[in-house]
Amino acid sequence: MSVVEPIDRDLAIQQGLGDILRSCEESGVSDELFPRILAHVPGYAEAIYDAMYRAHALGNVDHKLKEIIRIQLARTARDPYFSNLRSKRALADGLDEQRIDAGSGDFENDPGFTAGERWALRYSYLMYRQPEKIDKTFYDEGKQHFTEAQIMELGGMIALHYGMQVFMRTMQVGPSRDVAD
Amino acid sequence: MTEELIDEGIDHYRHSTAFTDAEKVALEYSELMQFAPEKIDEAFYDRLREHYTEAEIVELGAFIGFNVGYHTFFRTLDFYPMFSPDGRLVSQEESRRIYGDRPVSHSRGALARALAEAGDQQPAGGE
Repeated sequence: MSVVEPIDRDLAIQQGLGDILRSCEESGVSDELFPRILAHVPGYAEAIYDAMYRAHALGNVDHKLKEIIRIQLARTARDPYFSNLRSKRALADGLDEQRIDAGSGDFENDPGFTAGERWALRYSYLMYRQPEKIDKTFYDEGKQHFTEAQIMELGGMIALHYGMQVFMRTMQVGPSRDVAD
Repeated sequence: MTEELIDEGIDHYRHSTAFTDAEKVALEYSELMQFAPEKIDEAFYDRLREHYTEAEIVELGAFIGFNVGYHTFFRTLDFYPMFSPDGRLVSQEESRRIYGDRPVSHSRGALARALAEAGDQQPAGGE
């Protein structure tokens, strides 16, 4: 299941993670496996899950765009666990697999994305492939579409989610669900 | 902790006598997470388990992942430390001059340059 076994669900609840497990059930990203692995370290599950949830589900950048970015990053990290999770809210708002794949494909030439969305997708695409290309000129272009607060929201989400995706890749956790379901 | 030990842990930990076997495998974990995560397999985790509990492994792994993610992002923001190596509050312009375009650890980088500029000693080595 995982190189490091998740702690028992009942034990996680005893440790005070019941609210997080319920949040996992409601949001879909992550599912409860991730915090139950982190729960080996008291405090980590709550702090890291909370930060990732805030970065992904809250804020002032469109949640569907952030979900497409999150999955693009997980595919960059080659992490099958986070790649196959889906935000229930984004799906309910109309996000589909075709749009998700488009965000990992030729998004630069996809008329289905706005210029701002293309910049954001380029931001996440370049961050761990060619970060040297993300310079002042690149940020100046981003400021034509997003406020500085929104750019920090995107950058922080990209950094935190990618870091945890790389970690979870090494945990060798398979997909929790079939995206075709 | 010294700057020399930090450099040793980054550049030469595999053959260093300054680190225990446990510390070396933790340093390797960090290095691989950044540069070759595909090499962190079940066998590698078994090596970690020879020295660390499951809780300590998760603590290390999540900490490393967090740093892998954030340091790349921070790099793109093009900002530098608020303080000089000798503890002075400096402007970003001065900090950039001190720490350079590619900040590395102090003993080979900023501290050596700062000391050299102050006439205290020559830099120990190149960048």
